[in-house]
Amino acid sequence: MQIRDLVRRRTPLGWKQLVHSKGRMAIATAGVAFAVLLIFMQLGFMNMLFESAVMIHRQLNADIVLVSSTSRDFASPGTFPRSRLLQAVGVPGVADAEALYVTPRDWIKQSETNRGERAQMLMIGVRPDFAAFRDPEIAAQLPLLVETGTALFDRKTRGNFIPFRQAIERGERPQTELGGRTVTLVGTMQIGSSFGSEGVLIVSDQTFFEFALNRVPSAPSVGLVNVAPDHDAAGVAAAIRARFGTYDDTMVMTMEDFIEHSKGRMRRDSAISFVFTFGTIIGMIVGVVIVLEILSADVHDHLAEYATFKAMGFSNRALLGVVFEQSLILSVAGFVPGLLVSLGLYAVVRSALTMPIAMTVERLVLVFGLAVTMCALSGALAMRRVRKADPADVF
Amino acid sequence: MELSRLSHWYGAGETRRQVLFELDLVIPRGEVVFLMGPSGCGKTTILTLVGGLRSVQQGSVRVAGRELAGANEARLIANRRQCGFIFQAHNLHRSLTARENVRMGLEAQGRGLPPDADERSERMLAVVGLADHANKFQHQLSGGQRQRVAIARALVAEPPLILADEPTAALDRQTGHDVVALLRRVARERGMTVLMVTHDNRVLDFADRLLEMEDGRIVAARPGAAAAAPVNP
Ligand SMILES: Nc1ncnc2c1ncn2[C@@H]1O[C@H](COP(=O)(O)OP(=O)(O)OP(=O)(O)O)[C@@H](O)[C@H]1O
Ligand SMILES: [Mg+2]
Repeated sequence: MQIRDLVRRRTPLGWKQLVHSKGRMAIATAGVAFAVLLIFMQLGFMNMLFESAVMIHRQLNADIVLVSSTSRDFASPGTFPRSRLLQAVGVPGVADAEALYVTPRDWIKQSETNRGERAQMLMIGVRPDFAAFRDPEIAAQLPLLVETGTALFDRKTRGNFIPFRQAIERGERPQTELGGRTVTLVGTMQIGSSFGSEGVLIVSDQTFFEFALNRVPSAPSVGLVNVAPDHDAAGVAAAIRARFGTYDDTMVMTMEDFIEHSKGRMRRDSAISFVFTFGTIIGMIVGVVIVLEILSADVHDHLAEYATFKAMGFSNRALLGVVFEQSLILSVAGFVPGLLVSLGLYAVVRSALTMPIAMTVERLVLVFGLAVTMCALSGALAMRRVRKADPADVF
Repeated sequence: MELSRLSHWYGAGETRRQVLFELDLVIPRGEVVFLMGPSGCGKTTILTLVGGLRSVQQGSVRVAGRELAGANEARLIANRRQCGFIFQAHNLHRSLTARENVRMGLEAQGRGLPPDADERSERMLAVVGLADHANKFQHQLSGGQRQRVAIARALVAEPPLILADEPTAALDRQTGHDVVALLRRVARERGMTVLMVTHDNRVLDFADRLLEMEDGRIVAARPGAAAAAPVNP
């Protein structure tokens, strides 16, 4: 009500001036849109990297996760005593608990020359009769792993694996070298590459110990705990923690906490945040420079009018409001097309690269805030010239 | 309006130069006074001091009982709102229509746009004979029409004092004559005081009093032709 009054009670000079010089308005809008696009892509890619690192977490069929206290993330989880898992099973509210064995292993992948090339895969060992993964495709193929020396192969492994894949789909069982032994690929599934490893191989626990001679059943990497219906994960996790008492070799986290824990590690330990924050700042600078250029030119063109208005009794503040109004208009006018193009590019990235990139409300609000800040900053810089308009000059 | 012992200097140090010398002048309410004199004698300087566009350096300027010597920015702005300015160039805003330009005269009062701003602006445009041109931009108006819009803008808030600096300089003979006649008629009807600088001999008939300046001093004052004739010429 009061805001409507304010708007109606003054002439929207900033708007009128912008509309009057359409070319200028178009350039400024395009500049803001470009900056907004740049920022959306930077933040989107950054989040995509964090998300791709926890894609495997989201695949796991567990409400609560046990890992070593020294654990970094899923790819380097360390080990903890299997007896913790047995302790957890006894806690009220726990439906079942099973061990997962994880280790990175070199394998020989196909290459241009027929000799092959070494690369690192993440090998996950699991009891074939335990539903460790949510994906029904994986669950259906786990029984195949009962035969030792077999593995499920990750279609999304980085690199060109089309011949491998086609062979498996034809029902053949291609073989390659894994950790100095021969592994037979009996099926494909989809998890995706993350940092550190190029892809994932799922094997049975028996196969795991054959390929990883230094690993023993009593030292699993990740404990998957499911809670009974009508129990909440956080409460049960606290109960398990209480059961462990003074044993501090194992962390108990809900799946959400584990995901945040892994992302947080990545945020702190990698240069990703820095690189993309830098990109975002560059985007802001581009926006500020373009908008400042346009607003300054507009102020310069209207100095005589501003001086006249001052002579008529307008205060400095009222005229600074004109520039501020213009910067707000430009931030909104540029944000909308910038957002639309970004949504389009996100869709392209999703379908062409099959990477998990999505718009979030938080990011939308954040980038809109940045766009307004950007334009307000340019406005504040351009305003300095308004003060120079001298009412005594108009005669 | 009252000036007493008003002096003014431009520049600083070596180049400091006095342009007004201890001026005394009283203009009673409702009088129409024309100020004449050779170029550079200080006419515009007087207008800017009276209007509160420049700070008073020495002497005193009182407008409607308000002292401008030593006034702060807020007092100067308050004074500007009491004055209607008409410039040599029309100084209209090119992104605004005639009505919106006139309306700025109301908005300049610092209380936003009054609810009846558009009606008042249109009435004022009708007074200056531009009722049919309210929605036109300046590039669609002739020189005389633009100057009449500028007059409407200066008068719309009904300021007690009109300050005009050679408003006819850019106009042809007949248009200049009409514009000043209009200005005088409206000012008279509303009891406004007018201080107008002019070089234009053809409009002197409209003054109550004519002041001659030379080198920063008022050297002669004589009654204008209009002083004798109380009604519109
Ligand atoms: N801002 C300024 N800085 C320095 N000197 C100035 C300034 N403005 C005016 N002057 C000088 O002061 C003197 C008086 O100027 P003013 O503008 O008052 O003259 P004027 O009578 O209006 O002349 P004109 O008829 O040409 O408009 C002139 O000599 C001018 O050169
Ligand atoms: Mg002058």
